[in-house]
Amino acid sequence: MSTVSTISTRADELTSLERVGLALQYKKPDRVPVAPLVCGASRRVLGISYDRWAQDAKAATASLLASQELIGFDGFLTLVDLSVEAEDFGQEVLFPENSTPLPNFDNPFIRTPDEYRKVLTVNPRKTRRMSTVIEIVRGLAEAKGKELAVMGFVYGPLGVLSQIRGHAELFKDIIRHPAKVLEAVELINRSLIDYAVAQVEAGAHAVVLDPLYSSASILKKETWERFEGVFMRPIADAIRNAGGAVIVHNCGNGVYFDAVIKHINPVAISHAYPAYGSANLKEHAANWAKKVVSIGIGDPEKIGHEFSQDEVLEHCREQIEIFRVAEGGFILSTGCEFSPHGNLLSAATMVKASKLYGRY
Amino acid sequence: MSSEKEELLNQLSDAVFELDEERTKQLSQKVVDSSFDAWEAIDQGLVAGVNRAGKLFDEEEYFIPELLIAADAMYAGLDILRPHIKPQSHGEPRRVVIGVVQGDTHDIGKNLVRIMLEVSGFKVYDLGRDVSPRQFVDRAVEVNADIIAMATLMTTTMDRMADVVRILETEKLRDRFKVMVGGAPLSQRFSDRIGADGYAAKASAAVELAKRLVGQGVVA
Repeated sequence: MSTVSTISTRADELTSLERVGLALQYKKPDRVPVAPLVCGASRRVLGISYDRWAQDAKAATASLLASQELIGFDGFLTLVDLSVEAEDFGQEVLFPENSTPLPNFDNPFIRTPDEYRKVLTVNPRKTRRMSTVIEIVRGLAEAKGKELAVMGFVYGPLGVLSQIRGHAELFKDIIRHPAKVLEAVELINRSLIDYAVAQVEAGAHAVVLDPLYSSASILKKETWERFEGVFMRPIADAIRNAGGAVIVHNCGNGVYFDAVIKHINPVAISHAYPAYGSANLKEHAANWAKKVVSIGIGDPEKIGHEFSQDEVLEHCREQIEIFRVAEGGFILSTGCEFSPHGNLLSAATMVKASKLYGRY
Repeated sequence: MSSEKEELLNQLSDAVFELDEERTKQLSQKVVDSSFDAWEAIDQGLVAGVNRAGKLFDEEEYFIPELLIAADAMYAGLDILRPHIKPQSHGEPRRVVIGVVQGDTHDIGKNLVRIMLEVSGFKVYDLGRDVSPRQFVDRAVEVNADIIAMATLMTTTMDRMADVVRILETEKLRDRFKVMVGGAPLSQRFSDRIGADGYAAKASAAVELAKRLVGQGVVA
């Protein structure tokens, strides 16, 4: 049996940007595009600490560019971490040297239901973390935007609120203090609209919206629609009006594809599990692959930490085969961010899998 | 059981199930005032109510918010009833030290497991979030735990679980504790690789695993 490194593949005919663009329109490119969501993992290519990578736009941009040269993926995603927006609304954030930044939930910005009134709109072009992400987008677009897809990232307003209140307390407040929650979500959303537009203006071809709680593992569908779904439509419309494409990412289990499409109408959904109501991936592909482009859905933990390179190849081959029913509308990826400590060779092997098994 | 007591315990179960914390507190106080057995009220009232909520969670009628509020109601009732439990009426509970590993603060899953373990009769020592490997080991030794249970939602922090196993082995403590792990990015393969005793994919499975690890069989 050949080892992964000795397998030879045919030369590509399209640029990465062309490849991704065609897939998003259900037009068959030369092969399946690959976007393994290498974000925090990229810092290791240049030996940058996580805390620096998350706060220094130049360092993050340089490492993302270097990781693309190493791996050969087709699109950048500027997901830094889920605390970016929260910090700019006032939440204290912890920055471990070797792990993902996270809110200090021992010191939540909103300590009581009455403190939802502390939430105020901010200018994401000037606040510390969001402006950093905008600059990363700009740096990537200027360096590679004519050849590769550049995808910005915005965490949904309910997700942001959970980062400044604490997840469990927010979920209880949804039932006990719905009006206060809704008021804060609305205020946060105003700033997120500006944030999304700023990323398009900085050069993002698309912006990825993350409505994490549109998932049967967390909230009832109607609850998500009321507390976040209706708020995400204006973000999506603003992105489209600015000339960007809208993509959704949700790594939760049992994503409500119907509700997400109803409220956000994305060109693609990046997901880690079959949609709510689909028992397995094949059923998911039969139900959804021709309605919205799938980005996924490799297991990030297994790809990053468990699989041999041959197993990565086989895992990707299976998914490419399952999504052949999409007739071009599929992007191979991990279902969530590529594990920041995972084996980067596995990300390169995903690209190799596309070259081996993903030709149209 | 007297019909009055039976009615009261049913009402207590309903109050938890219907997410009514104030009514749960009132009814728990009524149990105390009526000199009914506190353990029976916990078991057949509070716990029964949480179990009914859990069943609806499995059936996707209740979701995380409802489950968290049912748990709040249960704990509010427990605060009133716990001082009145007759100590001689139960055997020594098995002890579990539980926490979210260092670098991670996602604790809803851990909290659900803690609640379900307590409901199932375990004595749980909850170390909270962002718990260092050393804290897990020291607390387990201190309380003479049967199980160390660790959770994480992040791939960047799951190796802290391996650190706990390494400390136990280095300090020749490995045989004293069963080690169980859980969380979205984990798998049985990961559990095997780090030398844990078991992995549970969801909260209800964690309770079954804990019972199995301490030789109490699987929950029916």
